[in-house]
Amino acid sequence: MTQTDNSVTARSPRRTRWSATDLGLIAVFAALVAASALVAAIPVGGLGVPITVQTLAVMLTGLALGPGRAFAAVGLYVLLGIAGLPIFSGGRSGPGILATPSAGYIIAFPLAAAAAGWLAVVVLRRTAARSGKIRGVLLFAAAMVSSIIFVHTLGVLGMMVNAKLSLSAAFLADLPFYPGDIIKNVLAVSIALSLHKAFPDLLLRRVRKADVRL
Amino acid sequence: MSGHSLLLASYVPGTSVVHRSPLWLKFLLVLGCGMASFLIADWAVAAGVLALMCGVFLLSGAGASRLVRAVRPLLPVLLAIGLFQWWQLGAPTAARIVLNVLVCVVAASILTATTPVQALLDGVASLAGPFRRFGADPERFALTIAIMLRSIPFIAGAYAGVRDSARARGLERNPRALVLPVFITTVAFARQTGEALAARGLGEADDLDD
Amino acid sequence: MSIVLDRVAVWVDVDGQAAPKTLLDGLSLDLTERRIGVIGANGSGKSTLLRLLNGLVAPGTGTVTVDGADTVRAVREVRRRVGFVFTDPLSQLVMPTGREDVELSLRRSVRNARERRARAEDTLDRFGLLGLADQSIYELSGGERQLLALAAVLAVDPQVLVLDEPSTLLDLRNRELLRRTLAGLSQQVILSTHDLDLALDMDRVLVVDAGKVVFDGGAAAAVGRYRALSAAGLPSAGLAPGLAPAGPEAGRPAPRRQEQR
Repeated sequence: MTQTDNSVTARSPRRTRWSATDLGLIAVFAALVAASALVAAIPVGGLGVPITVQTLAVMLTGLALGPGRAFAAVGLYVLLGIAGLPIFSGGRSGPGILATPSAGYIIAFPLAAAAAGWLAVVVLRRTAARSGKIRGVLLFAAAMVSSIIFVHTLGVLGMMVNAKLSLSAAFLADLPFYPGDIIKNVLAVSIALSLHKAFPDLLLRRVRKADVRL
Repeated sequence: MSGHSLLLASYVPGTSVVHRSPLWLKFLLVLGCGMASFLIADWAVAAGVLALMCGVFLLSGAGASRLVRAVRPLLPVLLAIGLFQWWQLGAPTAARIVLNVLVCVVAASILTATTPVQALLDGVASLAGPFRRFGADPERFALTIAIMLRSIPFIAGAYAGVRDSARARGLERNPRALVLPVFITTVAFARQTGEALAARGLGEADDLDD
Repeated sequence: MSIVLDRVAVWVDVDGQAAPKTLLDGLSLDLTERRIGVIGANGSGKSTLLRLLNGLVAPGTGTVTVDGADTVRAVREVRRRVGFVFTDPLSQLVMPTGREDVELSLRRSVRNARERRARAEDTLDRFGLLGLADQSIYELSGGERQLLALAAVLAVDPQVLVLDEPSTLLDLRNRELLRRTLAGLSQQVILSTHDLDLALDMDRVLVVDAGKVVFDGGAAAAVGRYRALSAAGLPSAGLAPGLAPAGPEAGRPAPRRQEQR
């Protein structure tokens, strides 16, 4: 526990600049979200229902990197997509995306990743001594809350603004995305737990190596 | 896919007036169309603006087929919205809504078709300039963009490799087996990248101080 | 160039264990020879030892100095003097093409863009890479990539070059190319390797085992010691019992392995 407390003090000051390792994580996770939008959907379960990996990558970036770095990574992805790199799903790109009905979802990505990351830090710190099951359930709740508050709300809002749909019509149009979202968040949490097992210093305990001093 | 085919994206080389006009002007055009779509209340005006934008696009010499390609992915959604709003709000309003979206998309395509992606990225990196006094660092920002670009092919390759090995083990329907190794590889690759940056004396916070 | 390690120890905390894991222990070395090799098993501490030399790893106790510059307090100066080449060039090359990557290296030392371009072309030319300067790093062969990583580090003219298993990912031909390139360098070279040919090129070789330097001396004697160390503790014949194939094949009499010998 004392270790965790140490890392709290090491991370909390706002003005701490990102180290070279943080820079690497931000850039490579931005690339991960981009690559995930470009690869084909993967089949899930016995029926092989295909799901796209992109929103999975967005949520996992949050759960893996925590709020600040996740916001920077996903924000960089969105910014470069709007600037014209063909990295939105289906190879779309450019500022025109902001005029389409899916604009709200794309704007929501960095916010949802940051929210999931913030909640993940809270959950992982509070449950350090608890079993993996409780952690998993709480992390799933964190991911769901973030995607409902940001992805679905802004998604609905985007359809209302750009397609001039009424609230109820936009809500109905958004509804079919929920089942996929639940599957993805379950998957994201199970992967995030494995990831933190593989790299215990990724989120809470920062590396003792030299680049902390940079 | 190489990092450079990404950079070629939708750019069509040329020397037209549109190509030669400054980046900020084209950017203003996109912004203006975005605003206008909230102000235009008459479908005929929206149709006129759309025709004008298409004219500018064709003036750049990028060609009609490029224009179609830029708009095509949107057509199913716009058709659905158009029909739905026709039923809800009547034909003129439905037409105005759909036309306004098209105006924005075509204006944005003018920008991306006539500006090399590298120039667009430099434009993005220079956005950090005014925020320097708040701790933003344009050089590190540009470096982060470069690292991201060079990492996309690596991760796309990791997805392909993982898919093959999952198939070899009969796990191609197990989403964990398809995705987890990619994320493990990603974190390891990111850390090595960070370490290599530090070893080369790049990417430190006080880069600009010396 | 003299790199001095004074009573250095490095350790890391391990989750769920009270005692930290020791990576390196009680290391005091004076590295002055022009060609120094570090050999040892996987996980013996070779990489950690090399990372100490340019401040990528800070000593837990003790000090590391490069010609008097402390790797913790004067880390920027140390990294200017000590260049570092990693095993996998893909993790080291930051930019999409070789030209951009070498120019990035030069960014701090050469302010003028045109001069920077010229210097980058010089460096690439010296390594025979000028023709590949504008290719994506993903389109280069493994050997070309490792050479490019080396070129990008040498572009800024460090006084010491540290290489972490530089030939591990290379085929025989590219290993030979790397050996010749390294032999021609004017810099002090310190490298870790599993490639015993490369180790034999060195003036002085350290054998590292379980966080300690167990041998320090001439290359031939060191390689002999490393071979003896690696053979010790292995089962006398065939696979270790835990690694024997399981399932129906395991029970088959007279495995082919024995016939081959």
